[in-house]
Amino acid sequence: MADIKIQDLSYYYPETIKPALNKINLEIPEGQFVIMVGNSGSGKSTLLRTISGLAPSFYNGNLLGKIYLDGADAAQLSRHELVQEVGIVFQNPESQLVMMNVEQEIAFGLENLGLPDKLMKRRVMEMSSSLGLSAYLESYVAELSGGQKQKAALAGVLAMHPGILLLDEPTSQLDPVAAEELLNIIRRLNEDNGTTIIMIEQRLERCCHLADRILVMENGGISADLKAGTRANGIWMQKAPAAYLPPLPRLFASAGYKELPLTVKQGRQIIKSYNLERKAGSNFNSYPDKPPVSGIDPRKDLVDIHDLWFTYPNTGEALKNINLKIREGDFIAVLGENGAGKTTLLKNINGLLKPSRGSIQVAGKDTRELTIEEMALSVAYLSQDPNDYLFMPSVREEIDFTIKNLKLSEDGYSEEIIRNFKLDRYIQCNPRDLSTGERQRVALASVLVSKPRLLLLDEPTRGLDYQLKEQLGKLLLEINQQGTAVMMVTHDVDFAAEYARDICLMFDGGVIERGSKYEVLQHSTFYSPQIGKLFNNIVDDVITVDEGVKVLLELTRSINSEIVSAL
Amino acid sequence: MLTYQSKDNLIFKLHPFTQMTFIGIVFILSLIFSHPIYLLGLLMSVWVVIAASGNLAEWKGYMKFSIMMVVFIVVINTLFARAGTTIIYSGPEIPLIGSLEISMEALAYGLGMSVRLLVIISIFCLYTYAVNPDKALRLFSRLGGKSVLAITLSVRLFPLMMKDFQRISEIQRCRGVKLATGSWWERTRNSIPIISIMLLSCMERSLQLAESMYARGYGSGPRSYYDKDLWRPRDYLILIVTAIALAVGIWSAVMGWSAFSYYPVLEQINPLELIGAGITALTLLVPAILNWGWMKWPILKSRI
Repeated sequence: MADIKIQDLSYYYPETIKPALNKINLEIPEGQFVIMVGNSGSGKSTLLRTISGLAPSFYNGNLLGKIYLDGADAAQLSRHELVQEVGIVFQNPESQLVMMNVEQEIAFGLENLGLPDKLMKRRVMEMSSSLGLSAYLESYVAELSGGQKQKAALAGVLAMHPGILLLDEPTSQLDPVAAEELLNIIRRLNEDNGTTIIMIEQRLERCCHLADRILVMENGGISADLKAGTRANGIWMQKAPAAYLPPLPRLFASAGYKELPLTVKQGRQIIKSYNLERKAGSNFNSYPDKPPVSGIDPRKDLVDIHDLWFTYPNTGEALKNINLKIREGDFIAVLGENGAGKTTLLKNINGLLKPSRGSIQVAGKDTRELTIEEMALSVAYLSQDPNDYLFMPSVREEIDFTIKNLKLSEDGYSEEIIRNFKLDRYIQCNPRDLSTGERQRVALASVLVSKPRLLLLDEPTRGLDYQLKEQLGKLLLEINQQGTAVMMVTHDVDFAAEYARDICLMFDGGVIERGSKYEVLQHSTFYSPQIGKLFNNIVDDVITVDEGVKVLLELTRSINSEIVSAL
Repeated sequence: MLTYQSKDNLIFKLHPFTQMTFIGIVFILSLIFSHPIYLLGLLMSVWVVIAASGNLAEWKGYMKFSIMMVVFIVVINTLFARAGTTIIYSGPEIPLIGSLEISMEALAYGLGMSVRLLVIISIFCLYTYAVNPDKALRLFSRLGGKSVLAITLSVRLFPLMMKDFQRISEIQRCRGVKLATGSWWERTRNSIPIISIMLLSCMERSLQLAESMYARGYGSGPRSYYDKDLWRPRDYLILIVTAIALAVGIWSAVMGWSAFSYYPVLEQINPLELIGAGITALTLLVPAILNWGWMKWPILKSRI
């Protein structure tokens, strides 16, 4: 277990003039749980790399200043000593696992240290049982789920018994359930073993209750150093920049509240203290764009899925008897656990897979009779990883590539998209050099340039921070308002509640429910956004941030007017 | 994903070193022996061991394909070999070959060599289906550290790249890249984007992998080896008998018993000289015999 002391630390990547880290001074006492936030390019990952010694010894470049680990100058430690002092886990589990099965993966670092066989066995046993990997020891890494892979990567690092554990967005590629499990493991490590932890994490709502301290990084420096104090009381949040606040406290902050809750429970207590219940429903106007409850929808069908069944040759039935209509102007979020058939449904709609039984009509034509290229004109598809799209040397060429492939006429629409997506600045840049959010916008532009009538998205918010999520959401709303129907598969209930109009819940290959988000999400326990949970049984039909702010403002106003009238 | 599927029998429950030794010795003997009876003995043992390992169905698949090669070898040899003296068929003049003469010696030689080929293919089949590739690789890793790690990494990354390829192809097809239609040349040209994306992603991934390996101390000093495979009496038994098989095989070769001259006339088979064939075949059958006992008597299962 160890403390970290950083003095005047600056770091330059090779062949750069601008420092990635600029004169950082920081002390982290032993056993502290630190969460680091900041925009991409703010230096968060670089700071972790310098502490772990990867910068400069792996990256080269130039390091000025000192880092002391447990009082010892890190630059004087041999790599052998350093890797046993500091362990680092990266974002993507796929690209940090080396061996073929879990057991060897855990042993890999120990072998590198040249430890005796007996000790290695003991460490492997301890790691696998404490991380719940015992049943998978012999499993091939390729056959594990994302969460299990990340646990294996963590086990491989922890087996070396580091006193300091650094984590670079370890949950960003995981679904919520797996992320929760991993965070629990990390919390236990900190609480039970006193391991010092520095974790970069964008989604603070998942983990800020774990932290002792929150560091905000900007432009290579630490712009805010917030002591969380006793855990789970959110005093730090009053000082934190609004952009890094989790959605719930941000909601209260934007309604002008001084008291900021961290959990739904605390939020409900605040609301109850204002004695809202008796006013509930009295003067609060429920959401305006509620679609007509009954009657015939005048909009045209874009996609008509009729008795759809789909079976994979190896793994069996993935879709069971699905009937679903997507109309012009729809904005649907598909929610459901892993393996519910969400992605399979998307691939059936865009023609990558053809129905085993039943039919799908896209704009009046059966998908069986259309090639994927023909369908690409009316249905666009954006997958999870924008890197799967980008290979051209510039953004311009990347977008023109689709135009050329689909033999579209250049009518200035691509210019319009580039402007709308705020890509004009990067038009000559290599898309791979851009940040995550920008790369996603380039990929999105490159599929939307064909003016599709339907846009399909698979987990578009994975790995995005609050700001990027908001930008993406607004962009999708804009696209939707311009007449493109949107259907997205997501695990992010809050995002779905904020931007989608309809929700489609899938379970075990079937559609369990489809309806307006207010009907589907309002009273659900698991599939309900935080804001929905906050106002559940207090005020109906409140699930987006705007609605929440409105209710909270209404609440204070009525209290104020009561005070005024009482006076 | 892998051809290797673990099965519940003794052959799969051996130490990888034992498995590899057995396979290696059969391979060596198949090269030393040229006597058809010796080779047949080997083939018989390997066949029984494969049956014991429960991979007979896979072996039959291999054999179907090998029989075609055997026919080819025999035909070519009988047509072109001129050293035989016992002509069993003499036919008309054929361009390039000359007069068609088929000798018994050439036919026998072709068949004898085919048996060797079948032994080698069978032992390869046993290796493919009964030896955990991962463990075999680790067995060698002590010999060639870095190169074995490179192989391990590529084996590990292979399924990942297959998935990448599939996913990227799908995505690019949705962008109008034609991969299923058009001429061969068009399709090849259209797959350039997919290959470039895979290359770029691979480069990024390998940098990240290298970083992760470095962070876990790879290359920071001498390595040790994590070894979980245990030695059991069955391993010693089989190692001893395969060593006997090797010794007898070499002895037979030194004595000239396992050699056989096909030309100009087939050599007389001396029954005494076949002792070596009998012993090697029988000793190499021991794994199968042990497996049979292992299945039949729980007491033996617990003892060995």
